Amino acid sequence: MTGTGRKKNLGRHLKRYWMAYAMLLPGLAYIIIFKYIPMYGVTIAFKDYDGISDIMKAPWVGFENFAKLFSTRAFRRALYNNVIISVAKLLAGFPAPILLALLIDSVQRRGLKKLTQTSVILPSFISWVVVYGLVYAVFSPSTGAVKQLLEVFGFQGKMPDVLASKETFRWVLVFSHVWKNAGSATIVYLAAITGIDTQLYEAAAIDGAGRWRQLWHITLSGIRTTIITLLILRVGEIMYAGFDQVYAMSNDAVISVADIIDTYVYRIGLGQGKFSLATAAGLFQSAIGLVLVLVTNHIAKKVDPDSGII
Amino acid sequence: MVNVKNKNKSAGDRATDLFISLCLILVIFVSLYPFWHVLMYSLSDSKEAMSGGLFFLPRKFTALSWQLLFKTRQIFVAFGNSLAKTLLGTAINLAVTILTAYPLSLPELRGRRGIQLIIYFTMLFSGGIIPGYILLKNLRMLDTFWVYVIPAALSPYNMFIMRNFFQGIPRSLPESAMLDGANQMQILCRIVLPLSKASVATMVMYYARANWNSYMDGVLYVNSTRLELLQVYLRRLIAAAGAKGALSEAGDLSMAADITEETMKMTVIAASVLPILILYLFLQKYFTKGALMGSVKG
Repeated sequence: MTGTGRKKNLGRHLKRYWMAYAMLLPGLAYIIIFKYIPMYGVTIAFKDYDGISDIMKAPWVGFENFAKLFSTRAFRRALYNNVIISVAKLLAGFPAPILLALLIDSVQRRGLKKLTQTSVILPSFISWVVVYGLVYAVFSPSTGAVKQLLEVFGFQGKMPDVLASKETFRWVLVFSHVWKNAGSATIVYLAAITGIDTQLYEAAAIDGAGRWRQLWHITLSGIRTTIITLLILRVGEIMYAGFDQVYAMSNDAVISVADIIDTYVYRIGLGQGKFSLATAAGLFQSAIGLVLVLVTNHIAKKVDPDSGII
Repeated sequence: MVNVKNKNKSAGDRATDLFISLCLILVIFVSLYPFWHVLMYSLSDSKEAMSGGLFFLPRKFTALSWQLLFKTRQIFVAFGNSLAKTLLGTAINLAVTILTAYPLSLPELRGRRGIQLIIYFTMLFSGGIIPGYILLKNLRMLDTFWVYVIPAALSPYNMFIMRNFFQGIPRSLPESAMLDGANQMQILCRIVLPLSKASVATMVMYYARANWNSYMDGVLYVNSTRLELLQVYLRRLIAAAGAKGALSEAGDLSMAADITEETMKMTVIAASVLPILILYLFLQKYFTKGALMGSVKG
């Protein structure tokens, strides 16, 4: 193609599509202002910024903020809590929807199937504040539902206050996470199971494969790509232990086991005005998160070329 | 799994079926009961309710706590803020999402891959809480209503789902319209959107839910009680020991005498669940459908 030909082509293309390009403007403006400018803003992690004056004029300090951060006990504690809580959520929360989807799929009563599907998504519709309220209602040591239920079985002891006890609080975070989020992932898996060719089951049944072998060789292998994709997404979130949730549910009594990176950043940054230190903590979190996604994505693609999110 | 006729089933198979059904019934109970518990508690006489335990029906039915709740000014302020955030925020979300997703669904658009990559990267890496806060401070958006609807104008994740859906629409329809001289906006409004009702409904559902439930924006960027969100107000009431006091300050104190702190909290929780529950019941079928829409692969 000659130069003028290409120009003509571009002219015709723009004449046809200029409006499509114009449509992109609000979205792109949003992405640049609200996503990319804050990415530039992370430079204050390498500066000494007081939060008031011009960021541009703040002096560079290199990795000093990071060194300070890692020598702070509170940050190391937040990092530890963050990883412990996230990994526990992953271990409990990742298999749960797969199991639920397999159970729902294998039940033959249509009414029960539909009712379960409808019920399990309901918790994903409420905010963490409401989940907090519900946990309080069910586990309150004075009037909670669980207490009375146990008393029916002859339990007379004192109930622990699960929301205010250091031994139990992380369990509350993990299980309320599973309760709230398992439903929506279950629906995704069920959709993947629906996509499996039913002839495979028929062929397997003729070959004499029983229920369990069909489950393993057809159903589970049929949703393998979905499982791996969701796993990559979840692993990438390990650095994010659930700011909304922890903020809503925690209190001063459990801060030593519940303080995660986000709550730490919020407290020292917006609470104490240590902007540079808080930004350094946030940048550390984002950077590790990015590396985790890229690494898991790479591994997943090696294992199964069809999977991967990038 | 393929249906096997019942008579062919062994006793072991039937036992497994029974076990699975029981598991699912337990799952349903665990998912739904907490909601029912709170609602029934809020409708029970406070003294009767103090004995605790499982609630299947209200004990000595009374709506006293609900009356007290509706006499509180702040709950209406907070409810109004959350409602305004949800309505305006969802409208903005929808407009920006559709306007971004549609052009990106056109294979012939130049620079499409690059733009997608720019948007996709924001799903993997973010500046974090503090740079975001400083930006909003410089834009003078802190402590204004705009902070609820502008900084979350577009969810890249939802945008890619929408794009995948648009890509699934047969190309022949918009192409013939283009030959007739229609521009892209006309094609989007007259041909593509009418074919996308289910996925637009799903987007409304996703965004409305997020707008109603999100509250960290209210915690991080807003101080004034005039702009308080329902979720923030709710948390203040549940966490504080003085929930009843806070509620009855404007209301009738003699009415509050018969209501315990506990009942009041349950009422507030129930009140905040009800709007989203109603929305859920209406849009539930779209939501299940929406989850079946394509993955987010970039």
